[in-house]
Amino acid sequence: MEMAPDTIVARATAPGVGAVALVRLSGPDAVGILKALLGEGFRGLEPRVASLRSLYDPVADELLDRAVVTFFPGPASYTGEDVVEISTHGGELVPSGVIEACASLGARRALPGEFTQRAYLNGKLDLVQAEAIHDLIEGRSPMARRTALHQMEGGLSQRIAAIRDGLIGLEALLVHHLDFPDEDDPPVSTGELAQRGDTLAEGLERLLSTAPEGMLLREGALAVLAGPPNAGKSSLFNAIVGSERAIVTETPGTTRDAIEVPVSIGGFPFRLIDTAGIRSRAGEVERLGIEVALRYLDQAQVVLYCHRITEAWGPEELDFLAGLDPARSILLLTCSDEGADEGAPGGDRDGDPVPAGVGFGSADPMRVSAHSGEGLDRLRERLAGLAFAGLRIRGVDGGVVTRRRQRDGIEGALGELRTFSAALRRGVPVELAATHLRPAESALEEVLGIIDPEEVLDRVFREFCVGK
Amino acid sequence: METSYDVIVVGGGHAGTEAAAASARIGARTLLISPDLGRLGQMSCNPAIGGVAKGVVAREIDALGGLMGRATDASSIHFRMLNRSKGPAVWGPRAQCDRGLYPRAIRRFLDETPGLDLFQEMVTGLLLDEVSMGARDGRVRGVRTRGGLEFRAESVVVTTGTFLRGRIHIGGEGASVELARGLEETGLTMGRFKTGTPPRIDGRSVDYERLEIQPGDEIDYRFSAYTREPRLEQRPCWMLWTGPALRTVVEDNLKRSALYGGEISGRGPRYCPSIEDKVVRFPDAERHKVFLEPEGLETTELYVNGLSTSLPADVQRAFLQTLPGLERVRLTKVGYAIEYDYFPPEQLRATLEVRRFEGLYFAGQINGTTGYEEAAGQGLVAGANAALRVRGRDPLVLGRDEAYIGVMIDDLVTRGVDEPYRLFTSRAEFRLLLRHDNAVERLGELGVESGLLDRGQEEALRAREGERARLEGWLDETRIGIAEANVILDEVGESRVSEARPVRELLKRPAVPLDALLRSCGDAEGLVGAEIQSSVEVEVKYEGYVARERERAERLRRQAGFALPEDLPYPELKTLSFEGREKLQRVRPESLAQAGRIPGVSASDLQNLVMEVKRWRAGAR
Repeated sequence: MEMAPDTIVARATAPGVGAVALVRLSGPDAVGILKALLGEGFRGLEPRVASLRSLYDPVADELLDRAVVTFFPGPASYTGEDVVEISTHGGELVPSGVIEACASLGARRALPGEFTQRAYLNGKLDLVQAEAIHDLIEGRSPMARRTALHQMEGGLSQRIAAIRDGLIGLEALLVHHLDFPDEDDPPVSTGELAQRGDTLAEGLERLLSTAPEGMLLREGALAVLAGPPNAGKSSLFNAIVGSERAIVTETPGTTRDAIEVPVSIGGFPFRLIDTAGIRSRAGEVERLGIEVALRYLDQAQVVLYCHRITEAWGPEELDFLAGLDPARSILLLTCSDEGADEGAPGGDRDGDPVPAGVGFGSADPMRVSAHSGEGLDRLRERLAGLAFAGLRIRGVDGGVVTRRRQRDGIEGALGELRTFSAALRRGVPVELAATHLRPAESALEEVLGIIDPEEVLDRVFREFCVGK
Repeated sequence: METSYDVIVVGGGHAGTEAAAASARIGARTLLISPDLGRLGQMSCNPAIGGVAKGVVAREIDALGGLMGRATDASSIHFRMLNRSKGPAVWGPRAQCDRGLYPRAIRRFLDETPGLDLFQEMVTGLLLDEVSMGARDGRVRGVRTRGGLEFRAESVVVTTGTFLRGRIHIGGEGASVELARGLEETGLTMGRFKTGTPPRIDGRSVDYERLEIQPGDEIDYRFSAYTREPRLEQRPCWMLWTGPALRTVVEDNLKRSALYGGEISGRGPRYCPSIEDKVVRFPDAERHKVFLEPEGLETTELYVNGLSTSLPADVQRAFLQTLPGLERVRLTKVGYAIEYDYFPPEQLRATLEVRRFEGLYFAGQINGTTGYEEAAGQGLVAGANAALRVRGRDPLVLGRDEAYIGVMIDDLVTRGVDEPYRLFTSRAEFRLLLRHDNAVERLGELGVESGLLDRGQEEALRAREGERARLEGWLDETRIGIAEANVILDEVGESRVSEARPVRELLKRPAVPLDALLRSCGDAEGLVGAEIQSSVEVEVKYEGYVARERERAERLRRQAGFALPEDLPYPELKTLSFEGREKLQRVRPESLAQAGRIPGVSASDLQNLVMEVKRWRAGAR
């Protein structure tokens, strides 16, 4: 079959930073290009063994770099094609020079995601893994990257595949039951079939329980700042963003009532939201004198309520606080460096004590100071703990659902399985209950991006001695 | 002698006889050529028709005016409804037939078919015009026989079964070597399969006292919905189990098995394992079930179902004699294995026409299937399409939601085969829709439209539709009184009612039987036949499930509506996976739905395929 893709080249590490840059080539000419770059040095190179070599520009015939080169012959490579990896010295100039040289030798600059796409097209990755790599590249924080890595290693795929495998096994029991009467082995009881359905459903539920936080790993958890004017929200915002800013560009809200900045806190991605000096009425809780980006308030994973430590408590504040969900709110006493505990002579400048019953947990109120940095680490810890409690306890080894598409597929399969078991227990005949299994399978298969009904029969023939 | 026909059918097995009859019924001048007209419709393996899924196929063939159901009714000597303990949706009617009477019935039906000629001769080659026409390499013109005769026809249906270069290991019949060679030379791809049969024994040498008798079901079941054949005297089957002694004999002689001695290379069906397979693959199984089945009314011969083998005769005798009751058994025919050529069926269209040669159709085991019902179902479709093409009419293509025959043919042309193909209910997405009791409702009208039903059959169809409508009407209009309802409800342990209710509502309760309602509300008794009752009852009781399947089937139909151009350049569609492109190129699916059923074509391939087709169409303009 005619199938000649071209050879692509790109830098695989982020530009700018780093002592080492990785340039990757994939395609039929990858090895040829490497040969041209190394000249005599190509000799003695072994597949999959990293070797230090001198790279020359074959046109100008001058030394480009001393670099570590490795080649991976297809199909046992990342993309399934011949792949060459060149680790050059970092910075801008050296890697660009190497890419230029590759281009002059016939390689085309790869489009974003093109290596992964080739890997997927060559059957090296399933859909979930391909998505995970996309997440890895796009990853906003170290934790997201770790999740991505785990998924890439098949965490989620493996779990779903295992449950799908269980489903096929269950269907094989049914097929043995329905298609092969009069055989050596008696059919399995409906009670056991229902039980197996439940076990598979529980596996799906466990996966599904990771979805709320897992999806936040991609989108970032919403942390919304609230409080009266001059409560120190903007200083706190800047203090958190200033040290943790992960992405250079700020993304202002679509309406001019809030500013949103993605930040990494405790290794987890957050979207920190503040009215940040935008004094529009739309951003205020009317008549209460409290500034908050209302659009975000309901969806927020965490609300950071700021009260300047030196200020008195107004009744409107207490009303507002009473309306917040204690499970996802934190009460902060800001500008703590201005308060009495700083040992400053103006201890009497402390505002009213926090009224009884106000605060959202044993840690509240938390004293923080954007100026001195007091309490900021504890705040970060608490933020990550509130938004990602489950993941922090469970870890990501068991696979994490990070996409709506994955969640919907798993939910679909779960619903069918639950109905299957319930129907069997109600005494619905097996062949009717069985109508729920195929849709469950296809829902999971859609998540994995595979289709194959023939496997069910394979299983029957492997596990039962059937036929005359 | 007449040498020019509309349609020629090569072969007179279950595929060939159905093909010839279907073609002639549609009104094409048809010739059936077979090397031995004395063996038309022969049951070369087990003399039984039906089973789970297969029994439904026999009903579908009948619903489309075919022969198999009637011939079964005319020769059945033992009947059982398999899966009786389960819901009616998966019941599988199965009849043990008299090996001699079945082919006699088939021959009678063929002789009665107007427009059908029979001729005895071995076909040795096809007459092909090899002119390239678009995607085709040529068209068929007729056949050549061993005696040098040439017969011309617009369409030719090849149904040579296992005789295509068949190589029989122990015993057997003559093979079609020249035809196989001729077909191979056209460049069509070939494969090789194996299959086997068990020995047969003399019933007088069996000690029946030591066997478990298995009488047939009491019911007077009929495979044919249109014609009533007289019912024959019924015979029982017998059941027994193998034990460790048999295992020892088989294991000690494995080297002498053609299957295990390395003589046979073709792949055999896993669902029809030889006793060698059972012993080797399931070493922990202590025993295996064996059925002794009657071969006919006028013979004591028994078919040993469950012990298919290619071991030498002395070993067959030795392992049979380890069985309780068979200690002094005498063999009447040894079991044997057979290897034969087949043509991977991805080379066919859904009409069973060979994609490369206009007018050439393949049906039956030549397509890699096994089983009389599978062969007959294909034969009917191929024969009908061969005739419809000649008459310039739309082809007969059955959907996966319409018939097991449709499931089978779609599987064959879409997925191909890697072992002899047999139908199972699990191959169908819509098991609940494809029942034995509604084959006529599913296919009868299609039979009329295609011209497959004669006047008598059509009248029977209309009468049946009338009965069904009467029952549906009765269910809609009748209310059952409190007292009558509660008598029935008490009997089945359901909660009572406090006011008169529509009978349909009561029927929806799982335990309430329709016949009790019919008996109770008197006037409807004897209104309709048992089968229609059962069919309507299933649909009412499991309304939700049936509706859900219908809805899924509808969705599939809509998907099928997205047609894929036949000349789509798959290798150039770069957004598809390599594997997907290769598989699509080989199968050349007709619709997106069919593409989705090809193994190796992923969900994202399908999505991208839609985009590619749109782009390609825009570009082509």
